[in-house]
Amino acid sequence: MDRTAPAIEITGLHKSYGGFQALRGIDLTVARGERVVVCGPSGSGKSTMIRCINQLEEHDSGTIRVLGTVLDGRLASLDEIRREVGMVFQQFNLFPHMTVLENCTLAPMLVRRLPRAEAEATAMRFLEKVRIPEQAQKYPAQLSGGQQQRVAIARALCMEPQIMLFDEPTSALDPEMIAEVLDVMVTLAQEGMTMVCVTHEMGFARKVADRVIFMDRGEIIEAAPPGQFFSAPQNDRTRQFLSQVLGH
Amino acid sequence: MTQTTPTRAVPRRRGLWRRLRHDYAATPAAALVTLVCGTILVAIAWTLIDWAILRATFDPAAGREACRAAGGACWPVIAARWRVILFGLYPYDEQWRAALACLVVAAVILLSCLPRMWGLGRLAAIWATGTALFYLLMRGGLFGLTPVNEQQWGGLPLTLFVFVATAVIGMPMAIVLALMRRSSLPGIAIPAGLLIDAIRSLPLLSILFTCAIVLPLVLPDFLIGEKLYRVVFGAALFFAAYQAEIIRGGFQAIPRGQEEAAKALGLGWRQRLVRILLPQAFRLALPATINQFVIAFMETALIVVVGFMDLLASANTAFRTGEWTFAHVEVYAFIAAIYFAFVFGLSRYGAFLEARMDAGQQRS
Ligand SMILES: Nc1ncnc2c1ncn2[C@@H]1O[C@H](COP(=O)(O)OP(=O)(O)O)[C@@H](O)[C@H]1O
Ligand SMILES: [Mg+2]
Repeated sequence: MDRTAPAIEITGLHKSYGGFQALRGIDLTVARGERVVVCGPSGSGKSTMIRCINQLEEHDSGTIRVLGTVLDGRLASLDEIRREVGMVFQQFNLFPHMTVLENCTLAPMLVRRLPRAEAEATAMRFLEKVRIPEQAQKYPAQLSGGQQQRVAIARALCMEPQIMLFDEPTSALDPEMIAEVLDVMVTLAQEGMTMVCVTHEMGFARKVADRVIFMDRGEIIEAAPPGQFFSAPQNDRTRQFLSQVLGH
Repeated sequence: MTQTTPTRAVPRRRGLWRRLRHDYAATPAAALVTLVCGTILVAIAWTLIDWAILRATFDPAAGREACRAAGGACWPVIAARWRVILFGLYPYDEQWRAALACLVVAAVILLSCLPRMWGLGRLAAIWATGTALFYLLMRGGLFGLTPVNEQQWGGLPLTLFVFVATAVIGMPMAIVLALMRRSSLPGIAIPAGLLIDAIRSLPLLSILFTCAIVLPLVLPDFLIGEKLYRVVFGAALFFAAYQAEIIRGGFQAIPRGQEEAAKALGLGWRQRLVRILLPQAFRLALPATINQFVIAFMETALIVVVGFMDLLASANTAFRTGEWTFAHVEVYAFIAAIYFAFVFGLSRYGAFLEARMDAGQQRS
């Protein structure tokens, strides 16, 4: 793994489902430590794009390089990449048959081959970081949505990834729980984690993003630092979208 | 929100009479239904008790005449014929071996029901030891035990053996078939689907006949083996076809995000299967699986048609001889009690498993 390569380099990425082109030529480079927020209307390909980064979706053409390793469909490179890329989903996807602690120690023990004691110590450290160490012995269904999502973040962090992907992490949450999840994400961003977040939380984007990217119909329409993105959007579709999500 | 609190609403205390009235006689029509059903139930219960206990004959030495005179159940038939009922044609002097073999099977089943034994290594060790012991006891030929041919096995040990072997061979086959049918490679999924559908469209009887009678005609000699094992294999295949569909149903009920989350964490195919998918699929399939076990247990009685004396068949012979022909109801009641104890234990165990797996994790 190349220590100096950018975190993510995507060039000419295409992906279609049947005849439908979900991504049509995405180019995107994310530097190490950079925080990128991706927004765009529903169905514009945001999920598809970030799911290509850890190959939950296989792309049709174009190249994806993560931490210098090309994702070419070989299993070895796939394993290597998934270990370094954490992901948080809209639906949390915690394992319901395991306690919070087991959710957090599973992958470190199986994939990183950490001894149990060490994996549990790491898990407790990250559960403290997301501020729910006292829930470690509970099952996911016993937690609120916001708590579940924070566990999901801790679970991903326990693999000590270099990159974190978030796919609308607050969209399934009741409004009063959004803040607790965003707080955790802000902390993470301030500590220098490389992050790609699909979200419509524009406050979050303003606060932590280095760059905001607007996607529509499988293409990146606009990419700019948040100040410029929100005050002086260049493209009509961006302006229209912003007026919808910002409500003016 | 999925937040749950451990406290439950405490039921308001009410008088027993008021509660009964509310539950069973809220309206005149409900009261009438309760009255009619209650009367029928009491009448049935009374008849049974009267027959099985009050007017029954328990003296083991009593014969037909004494029973006739008393008018109730004639339990001495069990005292006189229990060894035929339980062990069938197994040589009389060796029946202690058959009894021990039953205990071995019971012990193995009970041990594997304990959650602390749940590990591939432990279960494999228990079952390997248990099977070896069972076979040694029943078959003999070693350590000075007289050899007893499989054709002479009968009664409870045979029923237990066929059931346990069917489940132990059938369950892994079911998992493999279910996984194959789920495969994204048509070359694997289609043959598995065809096999499952083919077996499910055949009656168990025809499969047992095929294994017992047709296979020896078409297989090379070294593959034929003992008839009992061919029949068990047929029963296991039948079990596996149904159980595979039950497991596949469990798989399908797992949200897609589960496997994606496991992939994103870097878990490999085997780890995802063993740690994430199978436990959830089994939990979701548990009620149907217990049902399938119960059916498989009942269906062991079918092996009688290919010449084996299972529990039901040996019970049939128990009252066929001379003096006891009149006492078939008592004999059937006796084996019904055995079947009931077994199946009831199975379903209670299923309930225990469900409660245990659900502990704290009401699924949303
Ligand atoms: N598995 C799939 N099969 C077919 N079409 C899909 C699939 N996943 C996504 N799509 C389509 O691709 C487009 C982009 O989807 P997605 O990336 O989920 O959008 P977004 O996350 O921006 O809402 C949508 O039109 C969607 O219908
Ligand atoms: Mg999406």
